[in-house]
Amino acid sequence: MATKAYTLPTDIPTETVTNIRSLLRIVSLALISAAAISSRLFAVVNFESIIHEFDPWFNYRATRLLAAKGFYAFWNWFDPTAWYPLGRVVGGTIYPGLMATSGVIYNVLHALNLPVDIRNICVLLAPGFSALTAWSTYMFTKELKDESAGLLAAAFIGIVPGYISRSVAGSYDNEAIAIFLLMFTFFCWIKALKLGSAFFGTLAALFYFYMVAAWGGYAFITNMIPLHALTLILMGRFSSRLYVAYSSWYAIGTLASMQVPFVGFQPVRTSEHMAALGVFGLLQIIAFSELVRSHVSSKQFQTLLYASVIGMGVLGFSGIVGLTYKGWIAPWTGRFYSLWDTGYAKKYIPIIASVSEHQPTAWPSFFMDLHILIFLFPAGVVMCFSKLRDEHIFVILYSVVASYFAGVMVRLMLTLTPVVCVSAAVALSSLLDTYIDPTEPVLEEGESAESEATPQDPTKKVKKTTPPSNSGSFGEYLARFTGNTDKPRGIFGVSNRLIVLFNTFGMLVFFVIHCTWVTSNAYSSPSVVLASTGADGNAHIIDDFREAYYWLRQNTPEDTVVMSWWDYGYQIAGMANRTTLVDNNTWNNTHIATVGKAMSSPEEVAYPILRKHDVDYVLIIFGGLIGYSGDDINKFLWMVRIAQGVWPDEIQEPNYFTKTGEYRVDDRASETMKNSLMYKMSYYRFNELFGGQQAVDRVRGQQMPKEGPVLDYIEEAFTSENWIVRIYQVRKEDLLGRDLKVANAFEQGRKRKKTKPPVRRRALA
Amino acid sequence: MFFKRVVALLGLVLAACARSSTGDSVLVVLDSSLDKEAYSVFWDGLVDKGYSLTFRSHKDARPAVVEDEVAQFNHVVVFAPDSKNLPQDLTPQSLVALLDKGTNLLLALSSKKQTTINTLASEFSLVLPPPGTPLISHFPARDTPATVVPVPPPHAHPVLTAGLPPVWFSGVPFAYTPNPLLLPLLNAPAEAFAADTTSDAGADAVVEAADRAGEGLWAGSSLALAAGFQATTGARATFVGGVEMFSNEFAQKELPQGKLSGNKQFAQDVASWSFQESNALRIDKVKHHRVNETEPRETYTINDNVVFTMHVSKFNSNKDTWEPYSGIQDMQLEFTMLDPHIRTALSPVPGQPGEYSVTFRVPDRHGVFKFIVDHKRKGWTHLQSTTVVPVVPPQHDEYPRFLSAAWPYYIGAMSTSVGFVLFSALWLAGDDREGKKKGIKTE
Repeated sequence: MATKAYTLPTDIPTETVTNIRSLLRIVSLALISAAAISSRLFAVVNFESIIHEFDPWFNYRATRLLAAKGFYAFWNWFDPTAWYPLGRVVGGTIYPGLMATSGVIYNVLHALNLPVDIRNICVLLAPGFSALTAWSTYMFTKELKDESAGLLAAAFIGIVPGYISRSVAGSYDNEAIAIFLLMFTFFCWIKALKLGSAFFGTLAALFYFYMVAAWGGYAFITNMIPLHALTLILMGRFSSRLYVAYSSWYAIGTLASMQVPFVGFQPVRTSEHMAALGVFGLLQIIAFSELVRSHVSSKQFQTLLYASVIGMGVLGFSGIVGLTYKGWIAPWTGRFYSLWDTGYAKKYIPIIASVSEHQPTAWPSFFMDLHILIFLFPAGVVMCFSKLRDEHIFVILYSVVASYFAGVMVRLMLTLTPVVCVSAAVALSSLLDTYIDPTEPVLEEGESAESEATPQDPTKKVKKTTPPSNSGSFGEYLARFTGNTDKPRGIFGVSNRLIVLFNTFGMLVFFVIHCTWVTSNAYSSPSVVLASTGADGNAHIIDDFREAYYWLRQNTPEDTVVMSWWDYGYQIAGMANRTTLVDNNTWNNTHIATVGKAMSSPEEVAYPILRKHDVDYVLIIFGGLIGYSGDDINKFLWMVRIAQGVWPDEIQEPNYFTKTGEYRVDDRASETMKNSLMYKMSYYRFNELFGGQQAVDRVRGQQMPKEGPVLDYIEEAFTSENWIVRIYQVRKEDLLGRDLKVANAFEQGRKRKKTKPPVRRRALA
Repeated sequence: MFFKRVVALLGLVLAACARSSTGDSVLVVLDSSLDKEAYSVFWDGLVDKGYSLTFRSHKDARPAVVEDEVAQFNHVVVFAPDSKNLPQDLTPQSLVALLDKGTNLLLALSSKKQTTINTLASEFSLVLPPPGTPLISHFPARDTPATVVPVPPPHAHPVLTAGLPPVWFSGVPFAYTPNPLLLPLLNAPAEAFAADTTSDAGADAVVEAADRAGEGLWAGSSLALAAGFQATTGARATFVGGVEMFSNEFAQKELPQGKLSGNKQFAQDVASWSFQESNALRIDKVKHHRVNETEPRETYTINDNVVFTMHVSKFNSNKDTWEPYSGIQDMQLEFTMLDPHIRTALSPVPGQPGEYSVTFRVPDRHGVFKFIVDHKRKGWTHLQSTTVVPVVPPQHDEYPRFLSAAWPYYIGAMSTSVGFVLFSALWLAGDDREGKKKGIKTE
């Protein structure tokens, strides 16, 4: 009998222990949910209950329409105020899951006579769903290891910044509900696989459908599950459980996903979905061959069978390839290629590369977003190898794939975060299991200590970290790993245990502090409202965006067309309620390039473009006065690049640099740069602000030329308090049919050059 | 036919008391060197039509043309060829601003000096020769100086009375630069030219000067003597090369052939066009709806058949009313999203005066379309109308429910359903002993 490092009370009945454990679990989960929700409320506390950033504004606008006019109106919604004059078929080009969710919540609350404003539902949806995410992560991890690991994982995902960054209150985006659906679908899949249950397979399919309806990232599930299934087949782990789980998931999930208008026939028409179809076909072939094999004994026949199975597989694969060549199946999209070749987007599709969240991840952001979890994560993956049940293979695959994607694109950090939490929780809970376990190793020669060191001990269940029979201690993992099982391993004494536990506890405390700090400082800014801290420590709110958008709303006719770079399209539509040319739904590259061309061309070239598109106002963001670095001059090169992609003869990026290849806005800026509409609009009358002194652009840190730009075809209509938003009105054609430059010169009383009569008059001689 | 109608209308204009479509107050700014009575024929003609004239010397500041940003007169006549500068409210900038406010202008250029009106002309795409070079013609032989020229008016002109006898002209010619807003009213005779001397001795100097300036000789029938200009606001401005055209002397002067000159009538024609009395059109109403419906829709669906109707009126100055006008044969309607997707004739509806209508099928393309009528004809008010209407794809319940092409899928779905039911029935009704196999199978 092994000795104990410390004694545990033995007189508590098993039933009481079980009850207390489940009670503690429920209480823990409730507390985790509370922590998850409340840490996301920083944004509301620090600022106000407002929709954040860009995309959420569109979602919010769509939700308002859904709440006001009902689902069918939403489904058929054609938005004539977006992408003017092309318009946007909104119902068929969005993932309606988020809006539908809010709509349902809104209607339920109103049916219960709780008149909650739709805005508050939208603002608080993400925190609410984060609690559900914590729960589904708990369920998922429980399948991997045990409840204690599950609770740890739930606590991690509840407060980890990598997930909070996309789910603070007000961040009303698809990701807000998608991560919950992702984890729950995976949980259902693992459960279905474990049990061979068509019920859980169907459940997985239904949540998959919800996911498809909610987020474009559903393709991750569409490829993860087939990858898992394929790996299992290749590992020789084909079973009827796999067959049932996969077939029920695929058949129902695919049919369901095709009901989403935006997805339509994509599951059978695009390459991204072909893996799932291929694995489905492969499974059918293998299942059939298994069936035949179980009925036929002849060896030759089996050989023949294998040959035919491989032949059919090859045939199917070449069929898919052939269809792709014929154009029946759409090839990979550019966004997909950019996942494999990080330079691809910059070369061929600047519009994708121009989005900051599509940039490769910087290493520090892994630590910033995941803190200690990023160190625990590999340990957890290694531990999965030691068990290597079907679900562990899933976690390993998920880790590998998501790690890669997270390294390629910042925004895919979000898909990595859950698996990091799960793995880290597995690692940490194994550590805790090992060090809390009071059993001391037996120092007897010739006996494997481990086999007895970890039997279930009913007496130590006061702790919630009981290892179930199928999970081993940390020592056992090590032993298996080194292949050396005959030496006794374990921990002696209480102090050793306390040191490690105390350290672990300390790490967790730092983790919590870090999460709180990051959440409150980095991820809770609505970006619609900016905050700066003055020299005396007082917070100063910069509210230029809303000031300008409300100016538009109050001072312009309702059918006014406002041109801006696409980043601000959703906000203009959402806050100013005016028509925009391009917005954050970047579906039409040419249209965006048109705006880019107008911005990067001289006034007289831009003017016909503006008139053709009925533009009344042009809105730009200028940070040069207060040092707001996310302004349009800093984004300007992307406009140039995108325009160059469509009009390579007219717009050339090198022209916007100085001769020495610098990007400057001061005296040395190139002529093309100085003549571009964007430059002129940004620095128009900027000099006057400095009262004769040298004007300085605080973002670029450059001194501006003495002579400011002159505008002839547009005129300044509004400039916000801190000059962040500047709005210009496009002038109408001159009433005498003159060029506006000439008309302006006339208005200012400048003498006109004497016009010569038309050339057909020839000199007598 | 069109021509006849114009003739008939203009005949009516002369016959009765009439006034302009935009109002009847006229401010006349006269050079103090000009005798008001020397132009009484022209003034009387205007007063007879119903205009109320207010005279003001070019030096006076009152009555002001604009007060509190509101134009006080509907029409302004500036006959000030001898004054280089005009008061503050009649600078070139203020005159253009007046046009913007919808006030019509009738301006006389100076042949002797570089007046502000002369500089203003260049803003209207008119080019003047150097100062002091009046129009000269030695033909036809006559007893007047060479600078007083009888000019035959154009034959068919939308503004001038048909069959008008030649008019006397004395003043400066000018050249047009291409501008669609210009309306040539009177061009110089082919044998006329602009020069600063009438004597034969100076001919060499003229040739030399023409050579030097690189402009060639100012000569020929493309020189303008009177030109109208219709601003995009619809306001009209007329430039006349010499104020004498409107004088009593020229109006009563006999032509070399012995007939009475056409000056009186010409002056009235020019004034009635300038004051938006003749050739004034307007769009009364624009309607669009689907075929077999009467009310317009907020949005149209692709491939809808749509009726577009427009009502046009023409001002009848005799009755001082707007009357339905069906005389436009070449009007077009465009259905535009960035580019015109449809461009079709918008023809008058027989039996419905003033109504123009067309039925067409909306293109198979969704987006924000505009019904655009942009009818611009020289001498006529521009008719412009833009109606924005979104064209949307069919609603979810507007697609056909059953397609004959989809029968294979219908059969597939039905056969699968039937198969499933049969299979279930056979399975459930099958032997009990089979149940064990099922258990093995799912393991």
